Amino acid sequence: MSVAERVHLFPVRHHSPRASLVLGAMLDRISPEVVLVEGPSDADPLLPMLVHADTAPPIALLAYRTDGVPASSVWPFAAYSPEYVAVRWALAHGRRARFIDVSAAQSLAHDRGRRADDDDGGAGRGGVGSDDEPRGPRGSVWDPVVERSGFRSFDELWEARFEAPEHAEADFREMLRELALSVRGATLLREDGETRARDAIMRAAIERAVEQGAAPEQIVAVLGAAHVAAIVSGDVDPSASELLERTVPTAMTIIPYSFPRLAEQTGYGAGNRAPYYYQRAYDARGDYGRATLEVLVDFTDHLRLRGFSVSLADTLEAYRLACRLAEVRDKSGPGLDEVREASIATLCRGESAHVDGFLWSSVIGRSVGRVAKGLGRGSLQEEFWTTVRAFKLPETDEAIAVSLKLADKTQLSASTFLHRLRVLEIPYATLAGVRTTPGAGAWRGGAGAGGGGRDVERGGFEQLARVREGWQCQWTPATEMALVERIVLGESLRAAAERSLEQRLRERRSVGDAADVLVDAVMTNATGTVALALAACDALAAHDDDLVSLARACRALAGLVSYGSARKELGMDERVLVPLLAKTFARATLRLPVAASVGDADEAKAVGGAMRVLAELATTQAAVVDRDELVEELGDVGRSFGVHPRCAGTAAGLLLLSRWWDDAVLARELSLRLSATSEPGKTAEFLSGFLEVNALAIVKSHDVVAIVDAYLQSLSDEAFRDAVPMLRRALADLGKTERRYLVESVIAVRGHARRGDAREAARLVTAADAAALEAASEDIQKAMDDLDDLL
Amino acid sequence: MAETRVPAERRYQAEIEALRNGDGGERPPGWALTPRAVVAYVLGTDVPVGGVTITPKYVGDRALVEVAVATLASDRALLLAGEPGTAKSWLSEHLSAAISGTSALVVQGTAGTSEEHVKYGWNYALLLAEGPSPRALVASPILRAMRDGKVARFEEITRTSQEVQDALISILSEKQIAIPELGEVVSAQGGFNVLATANTRDRGVNEMSAALKRRFNFVVVPVVTDLEQEIRIVKKREEELRGDYQVGAPAPDEVARLLVTMFQELRAGVTKDGKTKVKAPGAVLSTAEAISVLFQSGILSRSFGSGTVGPSELARALVGAVAKEGDSDLKAVREYVETVAKGRDGIWKAFGSAARAALKAP
Repeated sequence: MSVAERVHLFPVRHHSPRASLVLGAMLDRISPEVVLVEGPSDADPLLPMLVHADTAPPIALLAYRTDGVPASSVWPFAAYSPEYVAVRWALAHGRRARFIDVSAAQSLAHDRGRRADDDDGGAGRGGVGSDDEPRGPRGSVWDPVVERSGFRSFDELWEARFEAPEHAEADFREMLRELALSVRGATLLREDGETRARDAIMRAAIERAVEQGAAPEQIVAVLGAAHVAAIVSGDVDPSASELLERTVPTAMTIIPYSFPRLAEQTGYGAGNRAPYYYQRAYDARGDYGRATLEVLVDFTDHLRLRGFSVSLADTLEAYRLACRLAEVRDKSGPGLDEVREASIATLCRGESAHVDGFLWSSVIGRSVGRVAKGLGRGSLQEEFWTTVRAFKLPETDEAIAVSLKLADKTQLSASTFLHRLRVLEIPYATLAGVRTTPGAGAWRGGAGAGGGGRDVERGGFEQLARVREGWQCQWTPATEMALVERIVLGESLRAAAERSLEQRLRERRSVGDAADVLVDAVMTNATGTVALALAACDALAAHDDDLVSLARACRALAGLVSYGSARKELGMDERVLVPLLAKTFARATLRLPVAASVGDADEAKAVGGAMRVLAELATTQAAVVDRDELVEELGDVGRSFGVHPRCAGTAAGLLLLSRWWDDAVLARELSLRLSATSEPGKTAEFLSGFLEVNALAIVKSHDVVAIVDAYLQSLSDEAFRDAVPMLRRALADLGKTERRYLVESVIAVRGHARRGDAREAARLVTAADAAALEAASEDIQKAMDDLDDLL
Repeated sequence: MAETRVPAERRYQAEIEALRNGDGGERPPGWALTPRAVVAYVLGTDVPVGGVTITPKYVGDRALVEVAVATLASDRALLLAGEPGTAKSWLSEHLSAAISGTSALVVQGTAGTSEEHVKYGWNYALLLAEGPSPRALVASPILRAMRDGKVARFEEITRTSQEVQDALISILSEKQIAIPELGEVVSAQGGFNVLATANTRDRGVNEMSAALKRRFNFVVVPVVTDLEQEIRIVKKREEELRGDYQVGAPAPDEVARLLVTMFQELRAGVTKDGKTKVKAPGAVLSTAEAISVLFQSGILSRSFGSGTVGPSELARALVGAVAKEGDSDLKAVREYVETVAKGRDGIWKAFGSAARAALKAP
């Protein structure tokens, strides 16, 4: 027997309450001198902080590379994780505790951990659970075991055989070791060198502990079951550790973690499916019946909050049913599957939809851990938490809506803080939108609309007083990780944001992008950057040829001009902004004709969008920009046959809408455009662009409809057939109201209008059409039948 | 004269016996089998028990049956809810047969069900002659179940009037029926429970009063969506019907497959490959309908056709099943035949033309 085998090896599955309870009893019994635990060996210095009285799980070890490559790994711990229980016991009893797995520096070198920009909480390729841990879902290695057992999933098997029964220590270790050994053969086939390397590293660490003077009987090693299986079967190759010898510079800290993220890690074998449920079970010393009852009571509350009428009697019945189900299935206690099925049958009256929707969040829970102060937390983390607490922003791992009134100085500061986080790409809050009046209702121009905070352009100080920003806030461990990593940019959020913005500014080539940076700089109160960005806009505006970018810049500048006094501290002088806006606008106007001559439909759409922006600005910022010039250019585009017809259409629509062309002029231009000689395809595009601007206003105008109607009637049958698909597309975007108005206008134009009987006429129209269509379809049907008979 | 429909407890007597002898576990008071044996009876087993093969009576989710059995062993009643044709009554019959040895204690819920059917009635001639006496009492199935400690079945509970449903409430909570005329109170013996079924399509379960709902555990019996599973069910049941009624001809596999596929696609409103949308008819196209159509086509072929079930028989049998709600449903099936059936090979094509002919007749 090797040295390692003489030590007390305790096999675990990560985050298992039963394993923790049994382990706790064993530690009390053996009272070892040394406790060795599976975890990154360079985390030893953090041990005191990990088990500090002020530290409350769920927490995680976070390791990240400090050499500029964004990569990190996380090792989460819950209060009921056996590893956590082990180190806690050791430090409480004054014994030596050590992490003995491969160090973070090595593992991040070997397998870049998880990239910093990955969306999830970032479990290390191992984290605390790795390829070799008993984790049903990913490993097909476990499928035969599950099938043989008759259970539906590995989790159910685990709960029934290992968690619920009150195992004696010897039993538990024996069973788990057997389990791991039973799949060892299949695992070996798929094993990569990394797992064997870790086996070797850990065994070597155990041997070293013995060499350093501790008797094997005084050592308890808490390792994942598969590692124990490897050591026990003597199948460890010491040279395998060479694979992981390389290291990279890393730093490590402890961050708060959350139950929802822990549940997410189940797929990687590093979590479990219902942390809150297991926490309850652990608190009840392994009484799963009690945990079930508590969880059901919580779930009943949940349902009542959502308006379901459930009573305590239902809860009791659910509990009893869960226990009885467990009996029928030969389990020693109810597990999550029983909880779910009992809830469906009793609380939810057979409807599984409610249960599946709400039960999981109830059993997963929302707890967020806490790390004791004095860890040498990054300054950004400190600042974050201080600010969040000062402004009473949400601190938990659930999405909460926050509304900020920008007229209020404190809330304005909160807004600046959130914008800084946004600019630094620290995931915490997303901008839902901006509103001018309080109250319920949709936010406008939020993140989804692609405008971010820049859409606050309904100018004027008056407006500003009523402007509110809506945010969705949710803290996740990713927030902490990002806060840790952004230290490279600066020691304070403000400094880091400025640095980030300046970096962006250096990389930007178009004035539109520069204007975006400018707006962000304003939002985050970054005075230095504002000046730089203004200068960049100025310089770029003179050279930028892209209409879309110029229009974007105009919009941003206009927003800033009207944003006015609230941001005056930035020295956003009107004297600088206004000329810049005028200049950019003028340049954009000049570029119109050339930009409109694109060939591609998507580009034409973009140009159309730019034209609309300019037209809007010409109205709202009439004092600053040269409207007449714009009108002239738009007129040229609208009349020109050389530009993309869609752009021409949009131009015409804009001119009509803003009353820069009156109806007569429009009528003339339209007839020209629609005269039968032009290609129907191009005309359809023109109509598309035309209607896109404001379909409702256009369909209400009888003159316009008259012209279009006359055109359509003038088409030959073939031409009409060719044009139908595109006409369909053009008219497809019309909503119900617009269509109704269109039909009414058509009827009025054609003179069918009986007073107030437009609807009657509409029915008449459609009935006749329907008859025609049916006749047509019968013809088609007959043709099809004949064809079939032939075949 | 052979009975056309043998009740479950007699038809599967051998299986129930075998299960009873084979299982040594604890039985709830009044139960003929242990809960685990009941589940085995309903779902079937892979290995024979005591030399007897246990056939599956219900093909579906194991957890569903386990919840049902666990409920019946408790003081709460069981309500099986679901769309028509999902085997609720079937399951109810088999559960009661396995647990109590009889499925005959049934109250059929209709609009005309009265309290007498739920509690007790009188033989009026005797009543007038002798006055109230035990001989004159006509016990309802529920009263009998209470006396003997057996499972009482209540089919289509939501079709009965509110008053009748409410009469159940006190029965279910107190487990007693008072017979003031005789001055006695009948208490339920161990093993008594009520197994109700409710159809969610007609007058839904929402019609039950909240107080009554609280006395039940709900199990929703789902519509079968797995193609192979439904084919198995349809073929098996059709075979049993043929045996019972001694008429008809067996249908080849591909006919059954075509039928079930068509039903599933019509139900879902989309073809199996998800590419073509199909208008779903309003009529119920449940598994029960499929079984009936298959059986009917067998009869048509044997008695009026060539003796083998082919697409034309299927098409003719189909009309009856679909035409329940009216013209629009026939149209929907016609559309289906035009768009989907014709586009597929083999038997589908033949079915397509046969169906068009059958469905076209005004």
